[in-house]
Amino acid sequence: MAMRNAYIDQFPKEARVIRAILWSSFLALTIGGTLGLIQGLHRTNILRFIPSQDYYTVLTAHGVLLVITFTIFFLVGIFTWAVTTSLDRGVEDIRFTWGWYIMMVIGTILVGVSILGGVVEQIPMNADVLFTFYSPLQAHPAFYIGLVLFVVGSWLAGVDWFRMWWAWKKENPDERIPLPTFMALTTMLFWYLSSLGVAISILAFLLPWSLGIIDSVNPLLTRTLFWFFGHPVVYFWLMPAYMLWYTMLPKISGGKLFSDPLARVVFVLFLILSTPVGIHHQYLDPGIAEGFKFIAMTNTMFLLLPSLLTAFTVVASMEHGARQRGGDGYLSWLKALPWRDPVFTGMALAGLMFAAGGFSGMINAGLNINYLVHNSWWVVGHFHLTVGTAVALTFMAASYWFMPQLTGKELWNRSVALVQVVLWFIGMTFMSNAMHRAGLFGMPRRTAEPQYQGFNFEPAVGTVGEINAQVALGAVLLTISVYLFIVNMVLTTVGGSSSDAIPDNTYAGTLSGPEDSPVILDNLKLWTSIAVVLVIIAYSLPLASIIDAGGLFGPGIDAWKPSVVADPTLVLESIRGVMF
Amino acid sequence: MRISKGGLLVIMAFLAPLIVELRTVLSWIGIRLSAGGTVALGGALVLAVLIWALWPPNGDTEAKLA
Repeated sequence: MAMRNAYIDQFPKEARVIRAILWSSFLALTIGGTLGLIQGLHRTNILRFIPSQDYYTVLTAHGVLLVITFTIFFLVGIFTWAVTTSLDRGVEDIRFTWGWYIMMVIGTILVGVSILGGVVEQIPMNADVLFTFYSPLQAHPAFYIGLVLFVVGSWLAGVDWFRMWWAWKKENPDERIPLPTFMALTTMLFWYLSSLGVAISILAFLLPWSLGIIDSVNPLLTRTLFWFFGHPVVYFWLMPAYMLWYTMLPKISGGKLFSDPLARVVFVLFLILSTPVGIHHQYLDPGIAEGFKFIAMTNTMFLLLPSLLTAFTVVASMEHGARQRGGDGYLSWLKALPWRDPVFTGMALAGLMFAAGGFSGMINAGLNINYLVHNSWWVVGHFHLTVGTAVALTFMAASYWFMPQLTGKELWNRSVALVQVVLWFIGMTFMSNAMHRAGLFGMPRRTAEPQYQGFNFEPAVGTVGEINAQVALGAVLLTISVYLFIVNMVLTTVGGSSSDAIPDNTYAGTLSGPEDSPVILDNLKLWTSIAVVLVIIAYSLPLASIIDAGGLFGPGIDAWKPSVVADPTLVLESIRGVMF
Repeated sequence: MRISKGGLLVIMAFLAPLIVELRTVLSWIGIRLSAGGTVALGGALVLAVLIWALWPPNGDTEAKLA
């Protein structure tokens, strides 16, 4: 019998910590996904069993658990797999790896408990500040401290990978950086750069303000610092999905990656362009001059280039794989792809939906046309296609390959897995289509009850009732899909016994390898320097202007602290204060 | 079967955005489809694909495209 060569056999200690990381991610997905169903049914007025003011607690938890906890836990686990596998060496010190993981867990608990305080009276905290947690909304200090611990934990994860790479480089001074490691390191570099914005926002302003050390903050400054991080974080979620499309999809399709050099160019472009774009989230902010917004728009449009390069490279690799499997013709090769494999089908459907999300993203990024959809349900439809499908569905599909690698056990049920990824695609089609359409006729996002009295929304096609039904149907299908995924993961982990049929821990070979690309592509110092210069160009004048106009700590505002139950005495006091 | 079961499942999935978006596209050329009409059209498309996929039976295809 051939000896098994799965990840758990090569790196048993690392497999253990990655398993723990992925399970933290899946727990967040399960809770966050369930809360999404509650929101969907509440907003559409199909089933309301929570008070409407609690909707915002649920919305905060849904956002934070899915786009921070689920995604970032998963990606630090997968990048640890990528670096160890491609460098063929373990982490330098496994205690350090457990250390940053535990730090992230503590951060998550602090954030989670402070949000939970919004609905549990026994917890004397409140953090109904949504994922976009800038002022004037104010959270309990525990929320900000938790976020700091979580982000610093992710920084240390990056240190872990850099330590491995530096050690490997000493032993292999003339070797090119293996592609998966290159992808993890470039992603981490722009994460260091961009998350500085949110670190400054929290440590210098929001946390001292929440603790009562300073009286006020400049809302526009904290918003701008949030979006300094808030858009690049999108690429922080997306880059591991890209890595999986580049390194796993070609192999699962039966072929090789079309071009290693092109993949490196794509990641370099993301390193230098991810951060100086955040102001495109602030097109309607009055305190930022139009010229700065135009620069942000231009930078954002440049980012279409690496995504289009990715679409070309990944599809070309899949076509190569299909032709190796006997596919032929202009389009008939599509039939030869392994559609019965949930890993392939999930990632391919995720990529397809990402194309749709990219097109709606171009509308968001356009300075003038953004006015049409700003703060509407369109935006929610958009990011459910990008992070909610391109990223989430890719992660779930990839888990069907990773969990057997990490446990040494075969996947519990491949058919259920296939149904799960397809169900996600169908559910998201219904939900995101309706959200986009609702945004076009001005239905707002972030509201528990959009059914205003004395005003009727007028859809171009169909009725509001149909749109609501479509959203609710989509939400139900997506939730069922999440549960199917979790059941499969649980039964794979706890059920069954160790199997020799687990495939080897490898990633895709290349048709055009690193030897075909200029060595300068591996010069991380150069690309990081260019990224820093671009950030200085894009942000120094807007930030100076914002501080000049509104002061570093603002002209003085009172925080609005959301409370679960309005205190009539306080309300009377406020009215008295206003009137007299 | 003309295609594998996995392939059929994926084609069914692709019908979802097609049917959902078709309604909007038809409205551009002045054809207003009701919700019930869209469901009926979707059902007809699903049935057509099922008939195409299941008829005539061909046992080899399943193995070939697996």
